[in-house]
Amino acid sequence: MKILLAEDDHHVAVIMKLCLEKIGQHEVVHAEDGELAVQKAQSQAFDLIILDGMMPKKNGLIVAQEIRGSGQTTPIIFLTAKSDEPAYQTLGTGYIAKPFEPTLICARIEEILASAKGA
Amino acid sequence: MLTLRTRLNLITFCAISAMGWCGFTAAVSGQEYLDLQKQVDESVDLRSNAVWLGGAPYDSTTLKRMQTRRAAIVDETRQAQFSDVLQAYSSRDDKMLRQRIANFMQHEYDISKKATIQVRKARETFLLFACMTAIVPLFGMFIVLLTVNSTVFHGIDRLSRRMMDFLADRYSFQFSQPDANELGDLQRTFNSLAQQVINTMDELKQLDQAKSEFLSIASHELRTPMTSIKGSLSLLGNGIMGKIDDAPLQLIKIAETETDRLIRLINDLLDLAKIEARKLPLASKWCLWDDTLKSTTTGLVGFAHNAGVNIAFDPSPGIEAFIDSDRVQQVLTNLISNAIKFSPRGSTVHVYTGQTKNGHLLINVRDQGPGIAPADQELIFQKFRQGATAENPIVKGTGLGLAIAKALVEEHGGDIGVESEMGKGSAFWFTLPKWRLADGQAVSA
Repeated sequence: MKILLAEDDHHVAVIMKLCLEKIGQHEVVHAEDGELAVQKAQSQAFDLIILDGMMPKKNGLIVAQEIRGSGQTTPIIFLTAKSDEPAYQTLGTGYIAKPFEPTLICARIEEILASAKGA
Repeated sequence: MLTLRTRLNLITFCAISAMGWCGFTAAVSGQEYLDLQKQVDESVDLRSNAVWLGGAPYDSTTLKRMQTRRAAIVDETRQAQFSDVLQAYSSRDDKMLRQRIANFMQHEYDISKKATIQVRKARETFLLFACMTAIVPLFGMFIVLLTVNSTVFHGIDRLSRRMMDFLADRYSFQFSQPDANELGDLQRTFNSLAQQVINTMDELKQLDQAKSEFLSIASHELRTPMTSIKGSLSLLGNGIMGKIDDAPLQLIKIAETETDRLIRLINDLLDLAKIEARKLPLASKWCLWDDTLKSTTTGLVGFAHNAGVNIAFDPSPGIEAFIDSDRVQQVLTNLISNAIKFSPRGSTVHVYTGQTKNGHLLINVRDQGPGIAPADQELIFQKFRQGATAENPIVKGTGLGLAIAKALVEEHGGDIGVESEMGKGSAFWFTLPKWRLADGQAVSA
């Protein structure tokens, strides 16, 4: 899969990238903030978009709104430290709570995508 | 404006003064009436004596008696006139006697006529003021009553209404202009009291706001670095970044275990802070009770297997509970994983559902562990309080699990507790007040 990863925390981004590339054999494009994420999402085609909840310039929810606003239906998974925000459930396909178990992250992504297809 | 006390004192003073003046006037006119009446009586007496002298022959005894009578006359003119009559009597001159008697009678008649008018006047004055002496205090009392009613009681009523308004809706409370009297003072005192309460409430609201913001920031700022640490350790420990020798791997595993423990503590602390700040709204809906139980026990199967403990639960088909299923699962997970931790290998943790005396759903989690000393049974529900530790702790606790379970159960309107005897295991229980049978009929409110 080609995945867009929008995450401002450099360390978390490195780990996510490693997990997705080493364990899941996915191709990862990284965006450091919300604005870059919107630009990249509109200029390239992705199979999945992973958005951090809190980012500078534009937070995850705003990025998701803009991507959905431009008519894209690419699945969106939020990465969040605050899992009880109800908007993550309605705007995205699913969410992964921080801190996550990196060895299980690819399995969790598959699970979210599978249940979205099933529904 | 006069104070109420001054007003009431003034009215009472005026009424008493008026009563005193009326009483005094009545007494004076009464005395005058008595004096005048005496004068009239004397005139009548003297006139009858004079008439009698005119008709009787001369007699020295009579003269003597009349002279004694004359001496008793106070008025000098009258005494002189009467002397003239007696002189004529003693001279035995009938003509002169008749003349003198006629003069005396005329004089007395004039006096008497005037006195009679004065008597009547004095009597009227007396009666008028006597009546007023009685009426004035009654009138005064009436005025006092009217004043007390219109100011004191009316004011108290108004003030108590304002207090009720304040109690009912303290934020939109409007202060009114207090009167310049004692009740006004009372209202001023109440106003400042109310203002203080309103200020305190505003401060509390701001504090609450600050607490929410803190929770939100703490949540993010604690979890993000934990994500990096846990991620790095896990990638290393699982050999994804290449093979690592046993000795450094052991250290990585220790760091990983402790990181997990720290994450649990952070999660528990934030959960508890949110519950206490009432920032954890329950998303309650009707859930099949068996589904909630099944998801919880399924989640704990691996944990129980590692500990060599079985989980058994009696199904209770058809029961629906009005709960936030995720939160009740958190409670159940807490109680069941605690039970597993303290159970000897090969034993079973029983979960069964029943009903309390007052019809609430009652959930029991029973283990065959060492039991909890009576002194610890209250303590364990407090934050960071743990009873005796498990002999083989598989996962170290944070000391917050039961405090969170208690807070969550109470958020659902239920109770939580434990029954235990040393050496005979423990039974943790909690209640849920809102449940029904699946046909839709509510069993309890």
